[in-house]
Amino acid sequence: MKFIKKYTSYHLLLLWVISLGLSSCSEYLDVPPKDKLAEEQTYLDVYDADAIITGIYGKFITLAEKHVILNELRADLLSTTVNADPYLYELQIHQVSSDNPYANPKAFYELINNCNDALKNFDIMLSENRLTENEHAQRYSDVGALRSWLYLQVGIHYGNVPYITTPIENLDDLLDTNRYPKISFDELLNELVNFTNNLPYTTSYESNSSLLIDVDGYNTGKFYINKECLLGDLNLWIGNYTQAASYYKTLMASTDDWNIYKMPFSFPNDEGIAVEYLRYRDQDARALIDTKTDGWGSMFVRDRDDLWNTEWIWSLPFDSNFAPENPFIRLFSIQEGEYQLKPSQRSINLWDSQTQLNGFPYDARGRRFSYFTVGEQPVVKKYLYGYLDLESLMPIDMFNQDGRWFLYRAAKMHLRFAEAANRDGNHKLANALLNSGIREAYTVEGAVDKTDIEQTHLPFPYDFDARNGDFPRYRATWHRNTGVRGRGYVRPVEVVGDSLISIENNLIEEAALELAFEGSRWEDLVRIARRREDPAFLANKIYDKLRAEGNAEAGAVRSKLMNEANWYLPFEWEIKED
Amino acid sequence: MTTLNTYTKWLFIGVLSMGLSNCSDPWDDRSAEGDQNLQKNLSERLLENTETSSFGQLLVETGYDSILKASKTFTVWAPTNEAMNQVDESILSDLEKSRLFIKNHITLSAYSSVNSEDTLTIHMLSNKYLQFIEGNRIAGSQVVTADQYTSNGIFYTIDQALEVRPNIWEYLEENKAEYSVGAYLYSLDDFNIYHRRDSIAKANPDAQTLFADSLTNSYLHNVYNLNNEQNKYTFLLMENDGFESETEKLVPYLNKGAVDSTKIYAQYFALRDMTFQGIYSRENLPDTLVSKFGVKVPLDQSQILEEIPVSNGIVYRMSTVDVPLEKRLLTTEIQGEEPKSFSRNDKEASTFYRERPDPQGGIVYDIMVQNHGAAQFAINYEADDMYSTTYQVYWRAVNDIQSNTFQQRLRIGGTLSEDGSEIVDPIALLPYTDVPPDVYDEVYVGEFTLEEAGKIDFISLIAANTGSNGNNTLTLDYLKLIPVIQ
Repeated sequence: MKFIKKYTSYHLLLLWVISLGLSSCSEYLDVPPKDKLAEEQTYLDVYDADAIITGIYGKFITLAEKHVILNELRADLLSTTVNADPYLYELQIHQVSSDNPYANPKAFYELINNCNDALKNFDIMLSENRLTENEHAQRYSDVGALRSWLYLQVGIHYGNVPYITTPIENLDDLLDTNRYPKISFDELLNELVNFTNNLPYTTSYESNSSLLIDVDGYNTGKFYINKECLLGDLNLWIGNYTQAASYYKTLMASTDDWNIYKMPFSFPNDEGIAVEYLRYRDQDARALIDTKTDGWGSMFVRDRDDLWNTEWIWSLPFDSNFAPENPFIRLFSIQEGEYQLKPSQRSINLWDSQTQLNGFPYDARGRRFSYFTVGEQPVVKKYLYGYLDLESLMPIDMFNQDGRWFLYRAAKMHLRFAEAANRDGNHKLANALLNSGIREAYTVEGAVDKTDIEQTHLPFPYDFDARNGDFPRYRATWHRNTGVRGRGYVRPVEVVGDSLISIENNLIEEAALELAFEGSRWEDLVRIARRREDPAFLANKIYDKLRAEGNAEAGAVRSKLMNEANWYLPFEWEIKED
Repeated sequence: MTTLNTYTKWLFIGVLSMGLSNCSDPWDDRSAEGDQNLQKNLSERLLENTETSSFGQLLVETGYDSILKASKTFTVWAPTNEAMNQVDESILSDLEKSRLFIKNHITLSAYSSVNSEDTLTIHMLSNKYLQFIEGNRIAGSQVVTADQYTSNGIFYTIDQALEVRPNIWEYLEENKAEYSVGAYLYSLDDFNIYHRRDSIAKANPDAQTLFADSLTNSYLHNVYNLNNEQNKYTFLLMENDGFESETEKLVPYLNKGAVDSTKIYAQYFALRDMTFQGIYSRENLPDTLVSKFGVKVPLDQSQILEEIPVSNGIVYRMSTVDVPLEKRLLTTEIQGEEPKSFSRNDKEASTFYRERPDPQGGIVYDIMVQNHGAAQFAINYEADDMYSTTYQVYWRAVNDIQSNTFQQRLRIGGTLSEDGSEIVDPIALLPYTDVPPDVYDEVYVGEFTLEEAGKIDFISLIAANTGSNGNNTLTLDYLKLIPVIQ
């Protein structure tokens, strides 16, 4: 029995040694990972900085779905279908439960935190001479502007929010109002204007920048936020109208090209992005130009060519071959998607109450370009141009789900410039840009010598020269400008009563006709309603939408939205314990 | 010490044996118990089951026992022995019939009684489609025991055998001798109601064997395919007297020259409005049903003599279905923006398919041909299924972008001249009629009479005989040709 005793103690010893060995393993295994970068390795040179920016934009595009849903479904132009997720319906009737995933603000703050981290490290890189002053200025301004854009969205949708400009470890801490107090939307706007106005660099990346390249076949130039438009928008929000107009005008005048950002008319036999009929066939509904390379709708699908470049300011692509997947086909397509969202009856009525220049009793930007009808069901078309065959309106290839996120284009800038100009007392100019263009508004019937006419004779930013004459010859920079409605081939709208309010109303209605479903509607309604301190401006439009669809909640929603506090979504998310 | 050591030893052995007993592999245990139900296939189980032994016996007699041994998956709804006793002896004694009977109880793949949908349409091996409702009823029989599983499928026992019902077309064939409706419809295997459309298959001498009835029979081709098991129809089967009187009413309006063919067409037009898509059960029968061709057929329930459930719908045997001529003879409407051809093909640039505002708030979809410079330019339309009677003609022609009145006229009928350059021998030439500006009403433009029923190949809208633009404009929203009942 001695043997057993001996064996047992030996066994115990062995166990003890083994357990000692195991406990030391944890340190032994702590080697630097080879497939990931440690924090101190990430910001070494300008290419690392560029990679960070590309990464931020890559993550930014995952916000597309939320951006469009929050800005359109809560407003008056987009509605849920019977297929819609109940959470979407909650947004539509403004009764949002706290676990609604579309209303969760965390995704915005994750990106804001990424921006904060990048900004902090760009500064460190500058101080350690890893970035030059100029390289730093461009990158810092881009990420800083993107962060301001994100905060503007957060403010529009959540009202009182924490404003954080340094990276934090745990985002859930933001819900603790003692550590991160919330500031009001007005305070937030002031913070954003102060920060963004002082960014060192406000134009696009220099053409030799390493960030301007072709990525997977897409030129990256207009992937990045346009800081002048953002600055224009921010100043428009706080009522600095001259300042806002100046930023927009700087971008409009950034080139002398007659077409780029000028809302030009189209020549009948050339490709263009205007609502247009074949020459001399404007009485023929079948002669409407509607292809992927010509006509108003082509702007949503055409290659990033010269014509595309005249209109688009900021747009990001979705590609079937790369994540993230395009969410819009799932949301909108009735054929292969889930058809959760559709144009509201109110938006359809708005288009159908216009009259085209050829007398047709509708606005083709609606029924022909922004949506189409399958059976009795209206389907949003703007996001499906690449996916559908435009003749049959059936998907070409259900696996090819390429698409785009439409963020900013010339028409939006013109409408916002006109809004600022109108508030700044330049009603005639605002009305000209909305309706038939500068030349038409400032010309004199029958005059041959255009030297003193067809121009605004106003100082910057309201100086527009649209002279188009032959004796003596003038072809001024703005002579092709045809106005937002002119390009849309609809008759001008009248100014009724007080011109300031009437023109502003017309501009916001035009934004519905021109920019529907592109994710700027709620923002427009909130901005005007706040400016006028008139909640009814917003509430009545939502009421009209719900009532036109026979929704029994219409009246209750209106009363609720008459209180500004109810415009904002709950600022909360569920904290997940790890 | 010794005691302790012994204790330790036993402990050691105990622990060791515990470890050993754990070594048995649960994977090996998984089938050791065995489920008796899974040891046997459907054939064996049905034969063995005391409730379904007669059905199992029939499987053996028909040879279907070997099919239900196969390693495919089946579902069988087996009638209980009691139910089998109720089955007509004539079915069980005839091998052909008993096989069909067996096939009507079997389907491929397994259907459990628990489903996400409350009604499943099941394709039986007999090629009939039966409704399996809420997992407990199939085609009128109640499930007695559900979800009996076997090595190759599921079976249910049911309280009534699933008799094989004919479909509408088979029912009509079986009763051809009794009902002239059935005899007539089968005669349309050989007779072309619409010459060009139906004749492709019939032109082939082997057609009857090569092609399905739905291709060769004019009724199945042009109305509904009553032989289709996958759709459901309601068919009104008139007794011979009722059919005769409905035909007689139509004879004057379907004059085809020869007495025989006039009757055939009158019969066709009497019957084409007798089939409706879907099943209208007796309790849900409305007082009017609308046929595929838009005829509103009034239904007098007191005329129903019998309702016969068939595999693809329901047949109502009726003494007659009295459809007044006012409802039977349809107005022909021709849309201006759907032309068939033009008198010349070089005026496309002057042809506008318009969408103009209507003062009532809608949109007028019409055609306008303007500034074409051609005297008597014409747009051609066609019309099918016209009756031999007088027609009154109305048009809606919107002249909204010119300020002057112009004229246009209609030419009815005619054929292309031999060289194809013009249309000759028209049936009627209506007078030039004014088209004043901004008139949105229907305007009466004249009448014409057809001697023979059938198709009009050319209905032409002709411009004024002048080359001067503004006066030779053509415009048309629609034409209405209203048959006059004599």
